[in-house]
Amino acid sequence: MKIRKLALLGSLVAACLLLLTLQTRGYGSAARDLFAIVTTPIQTGLAKASRATFGMWATYLDWKNVRAENRRLREEVQDLRVRALRVSETDDENRRLRRLLVLQERLPLTTLPGEIIAREWGGWIRSLTVNRGRGDNVPRLTAVISPDGLVGRIVDVRLGASIVQVLTDPASTVGAHVLRTRTPGIVEGDPRGTLRFKFMARDGASIQSGDVLVTAGQGGLFPRGIPIGTVRSIDNRGAALFHYAELTPAVDFARVDEVLLVTGDSQRDLTAYFPTDG
Amino acid sequence: MRGLLVLTVAGGSVAHATLTPLISIAGVTPDLPLIMVVLLALRRGPEFGCLSGFVTGLLQDAAGGGLIGVQALTKAVIGFGIGVAGGRLRVSQPLVQVPGLVMLTIAEGLARFALLQIFRFPAPFGDLMMYVVLPQALCNGFVGAAVVLGLAWAQALRGRFEGGQP
Repeated sequence: MKIRKLALLGSLVAACLLLLTLQTRGYGSAARDLFAIVTTPIQTGLAKASRATFGMWATYLDWKNVRAENRRLREEVQDLRVRALRVSETDDENRRLRRLLVLQERLPLTTLPGEIIAREWGGWIRSLTVNRGRGDNVPRLTAVISPDGLVGRIVDVRLGASIVQVLTDPASTVGAHVLRTRTPGIVEGDPRGTLRFKFMARDGASIQSGDVLVTAGQGGLFPRGIPIGTVRSIDNRGAALFHYAELTPAVDFARVDEVLLVTGDSQRDLTAYFPTDG
Repeated sequence: MRGLLVLTVAGGSVAHATLTPLISIAGVTPDLPLIMVVLLALRRGPEFGCLSGFVTGLLQDAAGGGLIGVQALTKAVIGFGIGVAGGRLRVSQPLVQVPGLVMLTIAEGLARFALLQIFRFPAPFGDLMMYVVLPQALCNGFVGAAVVLGLAWAQALRGRFEGGQP
């Protein structure tokens, strides 16, 4: 048994030595060719299989990477959109506050800046809540303005906040005149949320669309010359004593966020401090 | 079973040359056919170890493009030697497996170098040992130990599964 094993080893070693000898004596190519017949097809098949497998794997990895990248890019786009919105919002706020500051510095009035914190926009009442109240010594009936014109007046002062009656409130009336013709009248709020100018027919014959209306400044409530709105259309009531003009408000009440509360008296005409080019 | 073994020995040896880039670890390729021969010799004795070593080496030589017969001879001898000594070796411990395979790889490298010298095939000894044989020996040690442990674990799992059957 042991001899058989040794014989096997011996014969294999002898075969190897014979092969090596033949190769060194120049008979190697025949032996290599013989082995190549067996090994080459196997190697070719294996190479193809491994290439196909790894090709598939690489494709899968690519696909996975593309998906991950897609997800990452989507998140990045979302993030950038939010940031852009924030920047745009901040920019907008910055612009508004700059305008308000410029107005506050230019006006020959004592004013207090305030921020709109709430809005009541039902048909019965149209009001804004501003974050200035009793603690800020805000008196009742204080005029509230914005860089575009008159917003309204304070009708209720509370602790830390005040209610501003907006010009479009049905109960709101303001003495006004047409800037170009000096035609006097009263600007009234309308339940529909619009403004109308009530004037005497004989005084307002020459009023036309596009005319700017400013506060009259009579009665001491509002300073003179604050823009109220622009004439949109004229309701000619024939022989009636009063005629009406539909106005487009100078201030967009739905979008105003920062206002100035006029806390000091002023007898000066403020027309020059506001844009009144229509 | 025998057919499967033949396929493993033959296919594995040829595959080793083809799939070398895929199985290299940090640029060092383990000599998987050598590990396979050692495992087969331990399990099946010197005859099978010797034959599988011979076939494996022969195919490795043919596939690798060197002198045909060098690895066939060294692996046949290693297969035989391990097969004979298998009963006396305790190969279930990684502390035996790793240095054992390292030593075997170095021994095989030395034998291969000696054969190449005899058959006037030029090969620088120092560089060969430093950059090829020693790194491969270490790699073989760890890969071989992992294979042995993996096989032992698979066998234990199989035994438990078969023992649990009614």
